[in-house]
Amino acid sequence: MTNKISRRKFLKVVAGSGVVGFGVMAAGCKGDPSGAQGWIPDQYQGKGDFPVNLKGRVAISQDNPSIERDDEKCILCGQCVEACKNVMGVYGNYPLPLKNEVACVGCGQCTIACPSGAITEKRNIQDVLAAIDDDSKHVVVQTAPATKVSLGEEFGMEPGASVGKKMVGALKEAGFDAVFDTCFSADLTIMEEASEFVHRLTKAKDEIPHLTSCCPGWVKYCEYFYPELMHNLSTCKSPQNMMGATIKSFYAEKKGIKPENIINVSIMPCTAKKFEVGREELQVDDQRDMDYVLTTRELAVLLKHKGIDLNTVAESEYDSVLGESTGAGKIFGATGGVTEAAVRTAYYFATGSNPPADLLSWQPVRGMKAVKEANATIPGVGTVNIAVCHGLENARQLLNGIKEHGSKWQFIEFMACPGGCIGGGGQPKSSVADIKQKRIAAIYKEDNSSAKRCSHDNTEIQSIYKEFYGKPLSEKAEKYLHTSFVNRHDRLF
Amino acid sequence: MAVLVDITKCIGCEGCSVACKMYNGLDFKAKPRNIKDGHLELDDNRWTVIQEFHTANDSLRFVKKQCLHCLEPACASACFSKAIQKDEKTGAVVYYPDLCVGCRYCMVACPYSIPKYQWNEQFPQVAKCQMCEARLSKGDAPACVSACTTGALISGDRDELIKKAHEIIASDSRYVNHVYGEHEVGGSEWLYISDVPFEELGFKQVSDTPVTNYSKSYLSKVPFFAAGWALFLAGLTYYNHRVEKNKKNQDDENKDKED
Repeated sequence: MTNKISRRKFLKVVAGSGVVGFGVMAAGCKGDPSGAQGWIPDQYQGKGDFPVNLKGRVAISQDNPSIERDDEKCILCGQCVEACKNVMGVYGNYPLPLKNEVACVGCGQCTIACPSGAITEKRNIQDVLAAIDDDSKHVVVQTAPATKVSLGEEFGMEPGASVGKKMVGALKEAGFDAVFDTCFSADLTIMEEASEFVHRLTKAKDEIPHLTSCCPGWVKYCEYFYPELMHNLSTCKSPQNMMGATIKSFYAEKKGIKPENIINVSIMPCTAKKFEVGREELQVDDQRDMDYVLTTRELAVLLKHKGIDLNTVAESEYDSVLGESTGAGKIFGATGGVTEAAVRTAYYFATGSNPPADLLSWQPVRGMKAVKEANATIPGVGTVNIAVCHGLENARQLLNGIKEHGSKWQFIEFMACPGGCIGGGGQPKSSVADIKQKRIAAIYKEDNSSAKRCSHDNTEIQSIYKEFYGKPLSEKAEKYLHTSFVNRHDRLF
Repeated sequence: MAVLVDITKCIGCEGCSVACKMYNGLDFKAKPRNIKDGHLELDDNRWTVIQEFHTANDSLRFVKKQCLHCLEPACASACFSKAIQKDEKTGAVVYYPDLCVGCRYCMVACPYSIPKYQWNEQFPQVAKCQMCEARLSKGDAPACVSACTTGALISGDRDELIKKAHEIIASDSRYVNHVYGEHEVGGSEWLYISDVPFEELGFKQVSDTPVTNYSKSYLSKVPFFAAGWALFLAGLTYYNHRVEKNKKNQDDENKDKED
């Protein structure tokens, strides 16, 4: 039998299937529409304008130097908005429509709040590894005070474990050519800032209240939102950049290394520092003070990549010339620390003798209270009213009050992150409720056990002034250790 | 159901495009297929995108792009297999992959070039925003709208949103006096208001005439013409058969007579 299809049979099949198809369609059978195969969190069920506790996410621009986000990991939980708005006072505090910038102070509190790890610091681990492997480069690393009491957490240690010396050992094993202590340059900052404060108190009263400027998140916030207070900011660079500038000048000269062959790396509890190092104002003689910033979390990744376990690594000491530190430099990592350290040295500058015991354990500026007030009586200067503020939303409220009623304080310390640097956006994530208190306690313990408690007692500081800077606020110190600020107000308003 | 996009309120967080990908199960890893003039364009895994514009007076604006869900969708009229249909209840222009034959007429027909194709699938489908039709029919807002924190996206009744849009424009002189989507190609469910001229933000200038109108005058006669033609042919066949039959009968009769 031949199975040949006749013309008639073929037409019948085509017409028949056409009729069936049309019938199916006309009867309303159309299958499912495409899409709707996924999942969406509960707060997005129901009408879009229903009020919910948390929703949405913060805007992060592509060229943000501090943070980035992996959309695939984002679950739209809204925690970043909560941190940005209610803790840091950034989100929602500028008018819409936008001007020409997506507002971000780079604090990185959203990276801490993000439960799925979608928002992270913009990583520089590969850059630093490449620099270490490059034999033509002299790679210098400095470690911030707050990282010494938190890095251990990334290696399973108790919160608040002091791992400064182990970190130095680990960094040396990782191949860095020199390891310096940011606490040293914190002492240097205090020498400059305390001198500047005493100068302002006595001779430049229009620059009072004196606002601290070592926190890059706070500085950018001030430039964005309170440009009229920029002249009150201390012109001192942050300790990180004072160290960077000193390494590429004093240290380079001493070692006979060309500054362009030095790569400055810092280990910071902070993501805003990644923005800070890119600032055009922070270079001297066309040399960028700092090259790369690694957060505490990034350092843990780097060390693990190198197979270094902080638990077993041999302890080591900071390298000399820029390695000695006092208790005053160490407490920079906690809210109130800068103030306490500055007052210790301001007292010395005014009286010529070290402060009494109560100023060495100055409780009113310590602790987690949003705004702390204190006054210090310095013979010859009088009583100085001081406020200490941490968390930028707290700062916003405080500054709005100052704008309205003026300031009753002569010195105000601002730290962007709650708790100060120990609560920084680059710190290890933790769900331990009192983690910040534990880190702060560890910092004050280090201060207490230090032989020297005041920045001016640091012998390496004394010798660097003798050999290089002359005296605080000298011309050379102004060139290397002081900076200016950029009015960013019209980028948002 | 319609959506009003207030471009002045968008901060570019892209929560909407993430919500879209999450809800519709799209591939986050897929590389962008189309980048035009530095702007990310829609593709089969990006049913909505946020485009960044730096305007002439140095302002930063973000524009959400997705299917506008026309009142008279050209894509649906171009589709002969009814794979794209305008949902009467919600107004969403919905794509049904089971009915699609893959001809891609819709992609040619769309005045905004919205429908995209799954070029690297074995059995490709067309891909476009469905306006979360399943959510709309439950009374929920589209996923993107529900994820917007700044009020740049609001959903609601189309007439009310148009009224609201004009109220906003009247109350703030910064806005351009134009609700994009109110009249464009006969109007769409998605409406935009902006303080920057729409041409600067990559919006296509289209006629107010629905695309379907251009062909309606003659294409609407096609069914009648086809039916009439079929009837005419049927009549002709019947007539021919009759003539032949009559002739055969006559021949038979003549034969009989001869016999």
